[in-house]
Amino acid sequence: MKAIGIIFSNIYDATMGDLTKHRTMASLPFGGRYRQIDFVLSNMVNSNIARIGVITKYNYQSLMDHLGSCSEWDLNRKNGGLYILPPYGTGHTSIYRGKLEALYGAVTFLEKANEDYVVMSDSTVLCNINFEKVLTAHIKSGADVTVIANHEKPESSRDRQDLVLKTEDNKVVDLTVNDEYDESVFCGMGMFVIERKMLLKAIYDSVAHGLFHFEKDYLQRQFLAHRITINVYPFERTVLRNRDVSTYFRNNRLLMYQEVRKDIFREDAPIYTKVRDEVPTFYGEDAVVNNCLIADGCTINGTVENSILFRDVTIEKGAVVKDSIVMQSSCICEGADIYYTILDKEVLITPGRTLMGSEATPLIINKEERV
Amino acid sequence: MLEMRRKECIAMLLAGGQGSRLKVLTEHTAKPAVPFGGKYRIIDFPLSNCVNSGIDTVGILTQYQPLELNDYIGNGQSWGLNRNFGGAHILPPYAKSKKSEWYKGTANAIYQNMHFIDLFHPEYVLVLSGDHIYKMDYSKMLDYHKEKNSECTIAVLDVPLREASRFGIMNTKEDGSIYEFEEKPEHPKSTKASMGIYIFNWDILKQYLIEDEKNAGSSNDFGKNIIPNLLADHRNLFAYSFSGYWKDVGTIESLWEANMDLLNPEVPFQIKDPNFKIYARNYAQPSTFVFSASEVHNSLIAEGCNIYGKIEHSIISTGCRIARNATVTDSVIMGNTVIEEGAVVQYAIIGENCVIHKNVRIGASPEETEKGWGISVVGAGKEVEEGKIINANEII
Repeated sequence: MKAIGIIFSNIYDATMGDLTKHRTMASLPFGGRYRQIDFVLSNMVNSNIARIGVITKYNYQSLMDHLGSCSEWDLNRKNGGLYILPPYGTGHTSIYRGKLEALYGAVTFLEKANEDYVVMSDSTVLCNINFEKVLTAHIKSGADVTVIANHEKPESSRDRQDLVLKTEDNKVVDLTVNDEYDESVFCGMGMFVIERKMLLKAIYDSVAHGLFHFEKDYLQRQFLAHRITINVYPFERTVLRNRDVSTYFRNNRLLMYQEVRKDIFREDAPIYTKVRDEVPTFYGEDAVVNNCLIADGCTINGTVENSILFRDVTIEKGAVVKDSIVMQSSCICEGADIYYTILDKEVLITPGRTLMGSEATPLIINKEERV
Repeated sequence: MLEMRRKECIAMLLAGGQGSRLKVLTEHTAKPAVPFGGKYRIIDFPLSNCVNSGIDTVGILTQYQPLELNDYIGNGQSWGLNRNFGGAHILPPYAKSKKSEWYKGTANAIYQNMHFIDLFHPEYVLVLSGDHIYKMDYSKMLDYHKEKNSECTIAVLDVPLREASRFGIMNTKEDGSIYEFEEKPEHPKSTKASMGIYIFNWDILKQYLIEDEKNAGSSNDFGKNIIPNLLADHRNLFAYSFSGYWKDVGTIESLWEANMDLLNPEVPFQIKDPNFKIYARNYAQPSTFVFSASEVHNSLIAEGCNIYGKIEHSIISTGCRIARNATVTDSVIMGNTVIEEGAVVQYAIIGENCVIHKNVRIGASPEETEKGWGISVVGAGKEVEEGKIINANEII
């Protein structure tokens, strides 16, 4: 393909509370066996993008550990492959404030590539998309920038980062950030296609002017000044935006719906993740499992309902897990009950304990805690 | 002479066997590639054993239906056997300048690959087969081999006396040295059954392979020729006693039993062991979805399944779909198979990529069967049409 990929790993970290205390948004576990970055990374690989840079800021150890040699994504290549781009700290920017500054740290990567286009994406918007089709549409449109967007139901949350695009006759007529939206307008998915040379120019110009926010300082300013044209690529299948803890909690549980799973996990475009060589999951004599997504390596002897179990989770006899997310290697001991709870990795819930959160604000138990 | 880069011990895995007693299950695939335990193939066990024993060079000798096996092994990455020096090597028979031939016997297969072994200048060669389910740390056997100053060490398992006549039996002295080998003896003198796992000093083995090849009447087999020849020459042969789970999965019944053993807490075989993992090729499959109207008990379910029906005491492999009101009991369902609504599967092995249509009945319990009970088998890729009945012991 004629494009390279850029993935931002840390944007919006602050919205996830303790879940991103020790990890990037990109490496936040999702959907039973994945990290958020697996979705966009797999989309890029499945779209034949073979040179991908992941821009990191801090806390990227768990991300590096997850990606390893990238062989699971077939990105262990002689030409191209995966590049981790930590903050490049000289002069003006070390810890960046926005995507443009972050990209400034990656200009060497961008300069050295031969591909004509760049596909840029956040790692928090999960979907199964073919970027090859997007690029074809982008070239055909003749626009300077393509924004991948969908129609989204309005969220009550005030913390809106999305780009809102109003169109008339398929032409973008207005572009706003932090704005109210409804299903009549397009909501940006944090995914963009732009010519590589144009992006480089945008980065140099913006940084020289002290600007750092890609959406506001580049897209919006340039568009409103009629200096660039913007094309919208409408995406019609399921999009899961993990904006904050409550949307993250809801989106995980949306995977219980067959239509959602069908859209996200496609046989012709699989989602890859790190291999952990777990055994198949064992369901014991007393296991009661209703409407759950269960990864491998678990041992289930209790009751699990409307929940997601990550790999290597143990549910002991008499334990009850309902409407919860249980991350890797956690254990719920005999007689413990948990409702509307997110257990981070390696949590131990001791016998007989009861934990209860609510649908809107699930209880979060931090990594390696013993309750 | 310059010091050479070398491996102390390399493994040669005999994976060319057809496994004809597995019938339809090995119709299009070699026995070592037969699926096992929900996500594994038989060959994953010896390969993982090698890796867990610190052996990183494995020659895999293939011959019968090698395509699936070759594809499965790939570059060996799934087992950590993608190495610059060493790693996994598929070794099919190949044409030589003077003559070309198939592997005539187990010893001949190694003989034909002597050049491969010499690439690594090993001191020891571990010879394995791809027919058994077991976990074994070969490094302990190698330590024993060195400690005994052995030239050939054979792993043995203590079997019940009444079963001993089914095995190759090693008769040993008190120090563990072997003085006699009897293939399937009518009146066994010992219960030490050969597990088909050998460690040889490479220089000795090489010499005997070359000698054996000169003998036109030889079957070029380890058990029939090489071991008896070593014994006749009073070489140092030792038996290494292994205790633990070891199961030949050469027949339909034993393959089914070994799968069921994974569900039996009384069988001392822990497949889940973070310190001794069994590695397998992984396919990118999402987590398994278990629907609310389903019931799952005493079963192992691998990834990427959609479970809507009732599963009791069974193994469901990667990517299967068990529809509503379908029942699977005491069975092994191999990868990517679909069991449609109302189908009943019991005491059966269903191969990969099968479609069992609505209301099909496969297999029966021993109690419901008047005579000739056995496991029912559906070969890989088969479609069983709606409402069809496949009896106990029937194989299609």
